[in-house]
Amino acid sequence: MNGGAAGGLRNALTVAGVELRLFLRDRSNIFFVFVFPLLLVLMIGAQFGDSATAGRVAVAGADGGLRTQLVAELEDEDVVVSDPEWDAALELLARGRLDVAVRVSEAASAAHDAGEPVVLEVVRGSAATAQVVEQQVRTATEAVRSSRGQVLALTDRGVPADRAAAALDTAREGVEPPDLEVTNVDELSQQFEGLGQFDLGASGQLLLFTFLACLSGSATLIQARRLGVVARMLAGPVSTAQLIAGQTLGRWAIGLFQGAYIMVATSVLFGVSWGNLAPSLLVLAVFSLVAAGAAILLGTLLGNEGAASGAGVGLGLVLAALGGSMLPRELFPDTMRTVSNVTPHAWAYEAFAEIQRRGGGLVDVLPQLGVLAGMATVLLLLGAWSLRRSLARAM
Amino acid sequence: MTTVPSAHDVLVVDSLVRRFGDLTAVDGVSFRIAPGETYGLLGPNGAGKTTTISMIAGLIAADSGTVKVAGQRMTPATTEPRRHLGLVPQELAIYPELSARENLTLFGRLQGLSGKALSARVEEVLELIGLADRAKSLSKEYSGGMKRRLNIGIGLLHQPTLLILDEPTVGVDPQSRNQILESVEALSADGMAVLYTTHYMEEAERLCDRIGIIDTGRLQAEGTRDELIRLTGGVDTIRLSGSGDLAAAAERLRALEGVERVEADRRTATLTVRDAPVLVASVVGTVAGSGVTLADVEISRPDLESVFLHLTGKALRD
Ligand SMILES: Nc1ncnc2c1ncn2[C@@H]1O[C@H](COP(=O)(O)OP(=O)(O)OP(=O)(O)O)[C@@H](O)[C@H]1O
Ligand SMILES: [Mg+2]
Repeated sequence: MNGGAAGGLRNALTVAGVELRLFLRDRSNIFFVFVFPLLLVLMIGAQFGDSATAGRVAVAGADGGLRTQLVAELEDEDVVVSDPEWDAALELLARGRLDVAVRVSEAASAAHDAGEPVVLEVVRGSAATAQVVEQQVRTATEAVRSSRGQVLALTDRGVPADRAAAALDTAREGVEPPDLEVTNVDELSQQFEGLGQFDLGASGQLLLFTFLACLSGSATLIQARRLGVVARMLAGPVSTAQLIAGQTLGRWAIGLFQGAYIMVATSVLFGVSWGNLAPSLLVLAVFSLVAAGAAILLGTLLGNEGAASGAGVGLGLVLAALGGSMLPRELFPDTMRTVSNVTPHAWAYEAFAEIQRRGGGLVDVLPQLGVLAGMATVLLLLGAWSLRRSLARAM
Repeated sequence: MTTVPSAHDVLVVDSLVRRFGDLTAVDGVSFRIAPGETYGLLGPNGAGKTTTISMIAGLIAADSGTVKVAGQRMTPATTEPRRHLGLVPQELAIYPELSARENLTLFGRLQGLSGKALSARVEEVLELIGLADRAKSLSKEYSGGMKRRLNIGIGLLHQPTLLILDEPTVGVDPQSRNQILESVEALSADGMAVLYTTHYMEEAERLCDRIGIIDTGRLQAEGTRDELIRLTGGVDTIRLSGSGDLAAAAERLRALEGVERVEADRRTATLTVRDAPVLVASVVGTVAGSGVTLADVEISRPDLESVFLHLTGKALRD
């Protein structure tokens, strides 16, 4: 007899096994699970952290000698220099379209002309190459300051400014340039610190695809109900609880598999760092459980497979976008960022950020894990209740 | 062979009622099935056969009445009696994306079979349902009849005490149908009790030890084929035609033991008799003795169709 806990577990595992088998047998899933996520990681990696050979620097702010000379120095170094507004520059930076942004304030410009100490605000982007470009900016500013120092030294001695510059080649030494402070002040830049080129895209895609892979299972649950195999299982010695456990387990395993695959593939192919592995996997596991619960709920609330697939993809994309899997949450306006907390994606995203960027461990992500576990519990209870209800109706 | 209610009955259905809104789909149905017996539920579309079976299999709750399988109460909440049941649903209940072998293995495992016993039993059933050579193909690639056979195979994998078949031959070609009927006969010969629903009276006549006639949710009558036929009056008809004076022979025919009525004119006579196959010889002898040369003798016996017509005033199928 199939009674007892062992029999129950066996039944649940058998049901889960079928779900997995059916999932892998569906050819279209092969593309969506194995190929598509990597393509997107690659695309987003290219967008967010272009490994273009030339550095890209925005020099924003007051026109004047300092700005002009800095631009000239940078262009000599083959750096691509642009001239956006400061806010725009920050956004470009966050999107990975820039490596470094420099703000030349009125005060700095005036101080430069007067030969006084200058403070320039410099923000470095997230791409791996940004560090190199920042160094280029440093060198360029020093060159500007040093030549300014020499010009000042000459004009102090009565040489007209235009001739002073020309005379510099012969009088390069003996002048101490004024100090230059490059500050790396922006919070944004700190947010993305520690991220490799593909890292940001990878964690977002992991969440997006894990959730989608689970939700796509809601269609197979509807199919199983429609085909009568669910009724047939229940006519045998399989309890509703075992059936629900098996369905959930199957969904969960699919999500886990999808997530783990993206982790392994992106780290091997793109060198993505997933940080501390144990907490990363735990976040994935709990997140998948949330997705599994959502899939069961969807698969029982909706009556036909087409609707479920459509709703699954729609919901998967909307939640992912809202949760920062497409555009990083750091770039959201404040209200949006608050709203996005309703999505499991946002919490998992934060947990991954903690682990990937700041070397966080289990303790650091406990709050996020707690919220995700709560979401999973609620969804699974609702799903179980709804499946039981739909089964009573289906016969 | 009317069965006496026994404590060992595999199935006891008592006063089952099930309503769907205003419709009473099953209205006080009671019957029993003894071990090894094949019981047929014969009734037209919408009679309440599937609803009755769903309650027996514990898939839906009865509004009132009880079901006992192997002596245990069956409700949607109980699991224990289920292992005695094998259910073959009217609608195919198989995974189209799995092969016959995979389908059988899956449901066998859920029935508690495992290891060598499971794989041996799966091969055995594949043979029985004639799918051994197609066991590896996905079932969505099977013909309608093959799918039906797989649907049946899943139900009998775990060698249940009672196999329930809900219209297993609907939409099946004659060859597959015959194969299905033969395997039911074989299972019954092996001692499995069978509950078989159908609206084909030939199937009920061929397979079933006892038959319940169901219509509009009520069991109209129940018994062996012969018992049911007796309900119609239980009389056969012999039709004679020939040359010579049949009307003149009528008086001598009426005198025969077992002949109830004779209508005759010169060329034809119609006899209402108790047991035509037994009587026909003496009828023919009597007529010949009256100087009539017979051209044709036709016997007709009532069938379940006439029983149904007699009971409900409707034809079993339209
Ligand atoms: N879930 C349901 N909801 C509403 N009415 C139902 C439901 N199931 C069955 N019925 C109704 O109950 C009656 C009996 O249906 P049932 O399926 O038991 O008939 P059946 O004898 O199996 O017919 P068939 O030979 O066509 O399979 C029908 O009138 C049917 O419409
Ligand atoms: Mg039916």
